[in-house]
Amino acid sequence: MGLTAAGAGEAGEALTRALVVRAQNGDAEAFGELLAAHYDRIYRTAWKWCGNRSDAEDVAQDVCVKLGSVIAQFDGRSAFSSWVFRITLNMVRDMQRAGKRRGRHVDAYAELAPDSQRAEQEDGLEHAALWAAVRRLPEQQRDAVLLVYAEEMSHAAAAEIMGIREATVSFHVHQARKTLRGLL
Amino acid sequence: MTDKMNPDEFDALKGGPVPAARDAARERALAAGMAAFAAQQQKKTVPTKGGALGARLRSIITSLKGNSIMDLRYPLGTAAVALLLLPLGYQLYSTTALTPGGTSPTTTVAAKPAAPEKADDTSALVDKATEAEVVPAEQASVAPVAPEADAVASAAAVLAEPAPSTLPVAPSPAGSVVVSRGVIAPQMAQESMVAGKMMAGTPAPSVMAAPMDGLSGDSFARFEEQRLKVAAEEPVSTFSIDVDTASYSYVRRALEDGYVPEPDAVRIEEMVNYFPYDYPAATGADAPFKPTMAVFPTPWNPKTELLQIGIKGYVPPADGVHKPSNLVFLIDTSGSMDEADKLPLLKRAFGLLVDQLGDEDTVSIVAYAGSAGVVLEPTKAAQKARILGALDDLSAGGSTAGAEGIELAYRLADEARVADGTNRVILATDGDFNVGIDDPEKLKDFIAAKRQSGVTLSVLGFGRGNLDDATMQALAQNGNGNASYISSFREAQKVLVAELGGTLDMIAKDVKIQIEFNPAVVSEYRLIGYETRMLNREDFNNDAVDAGDVGAGTTVTALYEITPVGAGGALVDPLRYGTEPAGAAPASAGEIGFLKMRYKLPGSDVSQLIEAPVTPDLVYGDIADVGDDMRFAAAVAAFGQKLKGSVYGGDMSWSDIAALAQSAKGTDEGGYRAEFIALVKTAGLLKPDGTQDKAVDCATDSCPEN
Repeated sequence: MGLTAAGAGEAGEALTRALVVRAQNGDAEAFGELLAAHYDRIYRTAWKWCGNRSDAEDVAQDVCVKLGSVIAQFDGRSAFSSWVFRITLNMVRDMQRAGKRRGRHVDAYAELAPDSQRAEQEDGLEHAALWAAVRRLPEQQRDAVLLVYAEEMSHAAAAEIMGIREATVSFHVHQARKTLRGLL
Repeated sequence: MTDKMNPDEFDALKGGPVPAARDAARERALAAGMAAFAAQQQKKTVPTKGGALGARLRSIITSLKGNSIMDLRYPLGTAAVALLLLPLGYQLYSTTALTPGGTSPTTTVAAKPAAPEKADDTSALVDKATEAEVVPAEQASVAPVAPEADAVASAAAVLAEPAPSTLPVAPSPAGSVVVSRGVIAPQMAQESMVAGKMMAGTPAPSVMAAPMDGLSGDSFARFEEQRLKVAAEEPVSTFSIDVDTASYSYVRRALEDGYVPEPDAVRIEEMVNYFPYDYPAATGADAPFKPTMAVFPTPWNPKTELLQIGIKGYVPPADGVHKPSNLVFLIDTSGSMDEADKLPLLKRAFGLLVDQLGDEDTVSIVAYAGSAGVVLEPTKAAQKARILGALDDLSAGGSTAGAEGIELAYRLADEARVADGTNRVILATDGDFNVGIDDPEKLKDFIAAKRQSGVTLSVLGFGRGNLDDATMQALAQNGNGNASYISSFREAQKVLVAELGGTLDMIAKDVKIQIEFNPAVVSEYRLIGYETRMLNREDFNNDAVDAGDVGAGTTVTALYEITPVGAGGALVDPLRYGTEPAGAAPASAGEIGFLKMRYKLPGSDVSQLIEAPVTPDLVYGDIADVGDDMRFAAAVAAFGQKLKGSVYGGDMSWSDIAALAQSAKGTDEGGYRAEFIALVKTAGLLKPDGTQDKAVDCATDSCPEN
């Protein structure tokens, strides 16, 4: 039955849905609650994709602004959190493309991201190489890998967020593995 | 999924360190988001400039050029499917009995049988579609005289002939019956031809408004409100008594939480029976109750009167020998029970119950779902500490299917069986009936079979959101027990302490009530509530038919709204009273009706009969003259009807109901009536007067002319 887990999750979902509906009807307070509830998740996702705090904070802020203007367009076809996820990924992509044009490159070649925590340096060094390598993957492959591994989603959930088929997600992950074998 | 060559190459990505965002950044982001949100709201309220309809003026040529392909929201495939499905859907819709727009009482007008239903090749589908268009055209010619055509027989004929030409003089293979209907609306004719094919004479069920409450996960058995009946046609009304009170507790809880309960959750008889009434009790266990009756004006309808029948179960003298009880608590410990108003409340409720038991009574505890199994072997209530300790140790959680939970409970009940006392399993749950027998029907049969062997079953419902009221009721009815909804500790006190006798000590079982109305005095009548308890007329004398049970001291009330002859206008000429053998006694004119009750004593399988005439001296001219109990019951009934959006409720306002209840408050020892008055006021806030939604569409001709 699994009633506890399902019950708690459903309750959270229901609360989110209620907040969304209120926000769509113009309730600023509800929108504020929604943002507060989702900010950390947005930021963490952004960090995973960008690899440094300042970019992640920028992206998270952009996502908040975006949400403020498009919340009315959320149609409830997918879960709110997946929708936010998609917006976040789009924001990351937009920012990185813009960044490339401006020539301001993410510290892709640094062996260790500058603001990675000291305590985990040892561990971090090894991981940072992997993270950096993953971030250098082509967008689709990177998204697939990060969604499936860093966000620990199922292939189906990742497919929903990326807007592609499940099999394609598996394909991208597989491709990423092949690409990385050259990089690492 | 994972590549075998590199099993966890990417696994290192899991749970990677993510430094927390700076608070300043977080606040900045939230503020920016809020600002954007506010700006967006602002934009919404300022109307766009340009066209009056809010759209920008554009050349229509662009849309003609096909540039709109960029904006093609509905793919072509969808459009094609829609084009195919809509006509088909319309046809199916209009050929089912669900079509609104009037049920035809005489369904013999088989204007044109829907023959293509039978054909199964694809060409038939085309036929069907064209036929849908043809039908309305036919009606004009059918209307004046519609010969009855045998649906099946003429099916072939209609297929063979071009439809319109056959119509003015449609073939009537059987003896033709002229149906005197002036105009037949196309839809009705279509409907009636199908109805005729399905089962001639069966009126299609009327379409009900959708239940308003989609919020809760609780489920209730659907039922239609009692209909008004004409005494001359159906002078006899038979039902089983209902001592449950779950509906009132549920309704109260919903209202207190700020919801209007769904109509199916409102069972008026359970609301009326929730309150204790001070009817005179019977004198001995041999005739365990006697009816108290009164007739008084209906508060919500000046043209009708209420016939109230109250019975109170015999209360065995307290100093007598204590009948030993053997109780088995069968407790749901699934994860969903882990809420303050479920398992913790349940523990305290059972604690109360244990306190009431005598030293010789036995208690056993079985848990199912979650931590399943025997928690406490049969234990004498003298060892209270042990029982309470076992109760305390119960914890909700896990999701193991508690197989054979119910069998275990009944086995323990058998082990500790007391010969001359109460053997009962008390099932406490929030709606999870995963007791080991999955099939609800089998579960009912199992419980009914155990009832025969002397072990009864009561059900206590807890919590909200998952409650399966229908199953609760069904199980308790099959187990000869009662179903109660425990919403609070106060309610637990009422059910398990104040009314413990009624809960445990059954004094009569299978109690049925049958009333025969005198058509010379009563033109129409309507039983209020008891929708789920109606019996067939012949069931009354059939001792095999199960019915409700009465516990010690329980009061049961039934209300009939009756229309006296002459007051509301009788529809049919009265029959000569006395043609029914049972009511023949003095055939005294002016008698309103004749009450018969059947019951069985606890140990017996043969029913006893109580009879009493409803005589004119029971009639009160003014509602102010009747006792508090009567007026209060009327107020509760009015409340239930209004809450349900009943068509019979009249225009009594919430404040009228509250005032009526207030006038009938009496001593109100338990404070239940005061609570009811507060509840009426709450309901008035949630569903203000005037917004009452009618449950039944009065456009249909099934609506009463009252």
